[in-house]
Amino acid sequence: MKKLKGYAGKILHIDLNNMTHHVLPTEDYYEWGGGHGFGAKLFWDLCEDIEAVIDGRDPRNVITIAGSPFSGTNVPSAGGRCEVTNVSVGLIPRNRFTRSNFGGHFSSMMKHAGWDAITITGKAPYPVYIDVRNHHVMIRDASHLWGKDTHETQQFIQENVAKIDVAAGWNAQLDGNDIGRTTQKASVLAIGPAGENQAALGCLIHGAGNAAGQGGNGAVFGSKNLKAISFIGTGSVDIADPAALVKARFKTREFYAVDVDKSTNFTYNGLSAGPAAITFSQMPTEHRASSCHGCVNGCKQRNAIGYGNEVTCQTSVWYLGAVRSYKFGGDAKLSLHNRSIDLTADSLYAGDLANRLGINTYAIMALIPWMQKLHAKGKLGVGKKIDSNLPYEILGSREFADKFCHAIATGTDIGAHFLDGVVPGVQALGHGADVDNGTLDYPYYGMPEHGYDTRAELEWGYATLMTDRDMNDHALNWIYWTVNLAKLSGIDLPIPAKEMATCFVEKMAPYIKPDEVSAMDYASHNMYSEVLARQVQWVNHYGRFWKNSALMCDFRWPDCVNLQREDLRGATGNDEVGEHVWWNAVTGEDISYVDGIERGRRILNLDNAIWVLEGRHRDDAKFADYIYDKKLTYSKLPTFLWPATNEAGEWDYRDMLGRSHCREGVETWKSHYYRAEGWDPDTGWPTRALLESMNMKEVADRLEQVGKLGKEG
Amino acid sequence: MSMNKNSSEMDTGRRHFLAAMGGVGMLIGFSGTAYAIRDDKVYIKSSGGALVVDLKKCMGCGTCMTTCSLVHHGKASLSLSCIQIEQDVFKPFPQDIQMSTCLQCHDAPCVTACPVNANKASEDFDFVRDIDPDKCIGCMQCIEACPHTPSRVQWNPTTRCAQKCDLCLNTPYMEEQGGIGGVQACRRVCPVGAIAFITELPEQSLPQNYVVNLRNENWAKSGKTIED
Ligand code: SF4
Ligand code: SF4
Ligand code: SF4
Repeated sequence: MKKLKGYAGKILHIDLNNMTHHVLPTEDYYEWGGGHGFGAKLFWDLCEDIEAVIDGRDPRNVITIAGSPFSGTNVPSAGGRCEVTNVSVGLIPRNRFTRSNFGGHFSSMMKHAGWDAITITGKAPYPVYIDVRNHHVMIRDASHLWGKDTHETQQFIQENVAKIDVAAGWNAQLDGNDIGRTTQKASVLAIGPAGENQAALGCLIHGAGNAAGQGGNGAVFGSKNLKAISFIGTGSVDIADPAALVKARFKTREFYAVDVDKSTNFTYNGLSAGPAAITFSQMPTEHRASSCHGCVNGCKQRNAIGYGNEVTCQTSVWYLGAVRSYKFGGDAKLSLHNRSIDLTADSLYAGDLANRLGINTYAIMALIPWMQKLHAKGKLGVGKKIDSNLPYEILGSREFADKFCHAIATGTDIGAHFLDGVVPGVQALGHGADVDNGTLDYPYYGMPEHGYDTRAELEWGYATLMTDRDMNDHALNWIYWTVNLAKLSGIDLPIPAKEMATCFVEKMAPYIKPDEVSAMDYASHNMYSEVLARQVQWVNHYGRFWKNSALMCDFRWPDCVNLQREDLRGATGNDEVGEHVWWNAVTGEDISYVDGIERGRRILNLDNAIWVLEGRHRDDAKFADYIYDKKLTYSKLPTFLWPATNEAGEWDYRDMLGRSHCREGVETWKSHYYRAEGWDPDTGWPTRALLESMNMKEVADRLEQVGKLGKEG
Repeated sequence: MSMNKNSSEMDTGRRHFLAAMGGVGMLIGFSGTAYAIRDDKVYIKSSGGALVVDLKKCMGCGTCMTTCSLVHHGKASLSLSCIQIEQDVFKPFPQDIQMSTCLQCHDAPCVTACPVNANKASEDFDFVRDIDPDKCIGCMQCIEACPHTPSRVQWNPTTRCAQKCDLCLNTPYMEEQGGIGGVQACRRVCPVGAIAFITELPEQSLPQNYVVNLRNENWAKSGKTIED
């Protein structure tokens, strides 16, 4: 294969069993793109015994942190994302190969140091951190860092790395005669006490608040005695057609991205959204929007109050309901009706606390109202059935947040029950019914509700069932926020429902024809249709390549509806600034938008083969009972509007509250999906013909060895 | 190209000068029009423009940096960028971001330090201070001479030359004409408009004089401060 631009050319393999490192040529992995594709193939190649690794804390687990050709470039909202892959910790009914993703400046610095990815196997004999300065790789003792929080750890390493001062404000690295210089700090990815204690709720933190956690990544680091990874680089990324890249970026800025000095557009995600802190508590004006490398419109924030930097999105709400409850009474469940400024400081404090201790706030959020209820009923507290010394009477205060987070991170007090995950812990405490009945909303695989209940937002749950985790793909979720926030704010959204649906459908090549608008019809009469299976295929395949592997930001891509454009059509798939335009300008390949999606299909199929080896079967793919047995009555916004037709076929934004799933319907939908993928509908396993058609004979052979190939036809 | 109205003949306040120690012999080989002699002192004429920045508007995306290196070198690099955005994400706003641009100093110390006139201010380019890589001998004296931290002159380890902001004069990978009156890539690409271009340079070449407020009422609508 010809050498491609955009890649650094090297993948760093760290073998912690032997405390050595090796260089793998990136060229061998080109066909997998980058990011998730790299992670999946590296896992396939390096995991000694896939079937035997049933917990992410097994030393045989392989964790990969991967960039892409876009990392470290100015491809819009793609230069700073980073994919993490590993076997999970704490999922049900079993752990599996899974993914997470974080932003900031880690993948960009890794690339500028000359590396496309780092993959780690084995377990170090004592705590270590990895210190990479351009091509110099050091596995260093981290005993002095063990016990420190994620911010202290990063600052310590940054100080240590930055000490070779060669000119005012410029540092050199250990490069002998090649004196590349930088003004930048090292980019560090670290665990806090939660990861050190191998808690399933432990996550990885980079910067003040970029986190990867849904899959127990922090516990995986901890189990390997790995405290942190640091990169500093003074190199560059070679670009195949720099002029085309610059031109497309100018066009994006001028014709697709928001004009912050003029625009009054109302939109949430996508390229035309404004650079604004996505915090659900109201920010004091003294803050800036901050962003990952290369973003067109940052979604994070840094503020003047001295804590809470980069507390964003979910991390800004995990404690919000509790703060409100403590200050004004009522229960601690999240609602965005009232998110006034007097709740902000404490919410940011709690977010910061979780970031420092390295706790996955998604996992703990639902525990808060659950604990509040149990305490009120006298079942939780000192000497109670669930014995705990936490001060539940002041749940919602900073003091409670401190004690609770400390318990979770150290696996003490109430945290002792959740070291292996929330749902296993709740079940062991004899409260499994609370998961079944939705008191705790963990709808799939022991993972928390992301905020978009699948009884309303169908694709979120379906795509999750067909993959490995809460899918966390906001491709279509743009609609939820834009439409419902507009409604809440009294803004008249100028896009009729059918046109909105059409805009999305037009981007769903090759699975949906431009006139199959029913692919975006979320009406109850369309819930289990075959066309919805193909829509979810598009979500999964588009996501696996363009987002998880090429590493275009999930909040900004795809750009299906763009309010800067008169015709409302976004950048996705177009020949001016669409995904493939960037890929081709950076790498020098000549692929189409659909070629990328096809690569995503192949990557998903490698994932599925790994899941099958791990024991996956069609029967695993089901929701918690409450999704079928109870109607959805709650939304954190007052409405859950979505485009849908009525019986007469008329389109409108209709409220999805008030409905549930039915088991037979979901099974019907699954069969549609398996058939669309070419997977055996009885088992969900791939067939040899399918794998061979994607040039994966070796994968088919491996599945055959263990008798897990799907039946043909 | 029009003569810069803000040139050093009008500027009596500055006392940095070239060749205070010597006669006009020092100037042999220099483009005489780049200098003005006043009170027996030789000044470099002022640049026809410079960048200014808004430290409270920048979001730290670094797009300006990788675009600067792309238009000049065809590579995405932080180290080869003439604009340096430094961040300490653990510091409170607004101390978390520092934006360092070349000030196109009056009587630029980097120009005066160059022993071979590679770092120069040419009338042809409206006195933008820039470095001719073909002439640069890699002595690093201009890097040392820039009075600001970080030094606004970068070291390119591949070419073993110094380089600095030329306001995008020499940009083989940008379709548009750069320089004064043209496009500055960092300014054009910045998603939030945190970089602007001025033709009237401040009296003194101090970084704080190049910090401006570029936030308007529309910015305030997003809940962020528009105060200085
Ligand atoms: S490089 Fe430094 S000395 Fe030279 S003009 Fe720029 S800021 Fe002034
Ligand atoms: S004006 Fe041009 S050369 Fe100067 S910093 Fe900006 S992009 Fe770089
Ligand atoms: S492009 Fe603009 S927002 Fe981004 S780092 Fe540069 S100046 Fe700041």
